[in-house]
Amino acid sequence: MKSLYAFTKKEIMDQLRSNKVLVLGIIFIIFGIMNPAIAKLTPWLFEKMSDSLSESGIQVGKITVDALMSWEQFFKNIPMGLIAFVLLESSIFTKEYQSGTLVLSLTKGLKRHNVVIAKTVVLVLLWTVCFWMCFGITYVYNDFYWENSIADNLLFASFCWWFFGIWVIMIMVLSSTLAQNGSGVLLGTGGVVFGIYLISMIPKVDKYMETMLTTGYSLTTGASETSDYTVAVIVTLIVSVVFFVTGIIVFNKKRL
Amino acid sequence: MDVLSIENLHKRFGDKEVLKGVTLKVPEHSIFGFIGKNGAGKTTTMKHILGLIKADEGKIQVADETVVYGQTKTNKYIGYLPDVPDFYSFMNAREYLNFCGEITGLDKKTIKERSDELLSAVGLDKEKHRIKGYSRGMKQRLGIAQALLGEPKLLICDEPTSALDPLGRKEILDILLSVKDRTTVLFSTHILADVERICTDIAFLDGGSIKLSGKLSDIKGKYRSDEYIIEAENDEAIKELLKEFRGLKRADNMSGKVLTFKEADISLYKVLGYISEKKLPVIKVERLEPSLENLFLEVVG
Ligand SMILES: Nc1ncnc2c1ncn2[C@@H]1O[C@H](COP(=O)(O)OP(=O)(O)OP(=O)(O)O)[C@@H](O)[C@H]1O
Ligand SMILES: [Mg+2]
Repeated sequence: MKSLYAFTKKEIMDQLRSNKVLVLGIIFIIFGIMNPAIAKLTPWLFEKMSDSLSESGIQVGKITVDALMSWEQFFKNIPMGLIAFVLLESSIFTKEYQSGTLVLSLTKGLKRHNVVIAKTVVLVLLWTVCFWMCFGITYVYNDFYWENSIADNLLFASFCWWFFGIWVIMIMVLSSTLAQNGSGVLLGTGGVVFGIYLISMIPKVDKYMETMLTTGYSLTTGASETSDYTVAVIVTLIVSVVFFVTGIIVFNKKRL
Repeated sequence: MDVLSIENLHKRFGDKEVLKGVTLKVPEHSIFGFIGKNGAGKTTTMKHILGLIKADEGKIQVADETVVYGQTKTNKYIGYLPDVPDFYSFMNAREYLNFCGEITGLDKKTIKERSDELLSAVGLDKEKHRIKGYSRGMKQRLGIAQALLGEPKLLICDEPTSALDPLGRKEILDILLSVKDRTTVLFSTHILADVERICTDIAFLDGGSIKLSGKLSDIKGKYRSDEYIIEAENDEAIKELLKEFRGLKRADNMSGKVLTFKEADISLYKVLGYISEKKLPVIKVERLEPSLENLFLEVVG
């Protein structure tokens, strides 16, 4: 337990001192501000363009902007945040294979599964903070300009997206125990997500797939109900746990 | 007592058999030189001792406990310095030792005391910078400090001096020599001068097995030849000696004022007697010690 704590502490120190926390923080804060800002600026943009548009015969009606528009931006932008997160963290395991720093820790009696647990905890923690910070910023701005209550199931919809991120992290963890370098991890993670995305294009199957969790915007508009998501949440939970446990088993046998 | 014993260790990588039955015993409180050419399998053998590589055959015991691949139980007796040590570069030396102590399970007070002591022993106590900017010599010294932190029974250093300049090498060797009373040192090298300087015991690894091992003094005694050299001050003395004794030979590659002979051909005491009788101006009469260099060449051949 003490060595797990020490290793986790070291991971956090690494994240802080290598400025990863700073970079991710900036990215997610920018997204958080951008969501309401884009919504706020849309009418103004249309007004600017309306002259040239009416010349070409297109009539632009008055646009009303509300919190939903800002939340739509939120769900559109958060995938980019996740991609940035995966790119930045893809070598969290593999850089230690190459440098041999892990071997030293392991020869000092650190249990192998503690390595996987510590790194996963830090990834989950970082994603959670980044995601909900972005959410919080958008929420506060929306509340200031408009009315958040018009978005239905807002918390649940966001939770689904956050949970999708957790699933992606578990794919990263499993890929990291299998691959030797960061590009292998990116390939594995990207491959699995893309594969699931392709499968979910099949009608009727999409409800069972993890990618369902990214469609939370339709919850906020009332186009879907929370019960539509039950299966996807359960599937994602099970798959995430399986990936994590498999990662530990693979790592225990890995030649370092 | 032996801290480490390896019996009949075999390992093959693909179709290449690297270790073909290595048998080795390392006695307590020795400084054990593990000598071999590049690619002889020194690093591979050490990784087996640490349970980092699965042996094809053979048994390894550390402090009478058997080493199991993938497990870390016997590693509590071992401090390890890898051939190219790399530490978390975002920490400074003290933070790194602190981290090592915590994952080993030492308490705060012990970590503090030992870090202080070890950092000053390896000359890094004034160093506040992060490891990122360390030279190789500094990394090796930090490597020794982290390896000694757990007060191991066995300190394993993989070529600790290979990448260093003469001064850096001397520093490392002095540190190794100074910990002899506390632990047993096993270090691999191909620099024979280093072995000669500090080792009490040696083993030659070649062609996948141990070709020669034992106490350095025993081995030298066994391979000691009965050859002597005489160095004289001037050529007249040399000529006079050559006239008197038929078995004397001029040693080549020297100043020309050196003669060699074998005890079997000429009695040493007769030569000494003649020198003192004629009051010949000699600088030295010396029995030739076998150099490790020669031994190495003889064994590795
Ligand atoms: N993981 C591996 N896969 C395949 N071959 C390996 C592996 N590790 C080592 N070898 C081979 O085993 C042989 C011995 O390597 P090892 O590193 O043990 O030698 P060494 O005595 O430490 O050499 P050096 O003095 O250069 O450090 C080498 O020929 C090397 O190519
Ligand atoms: Mg080596």
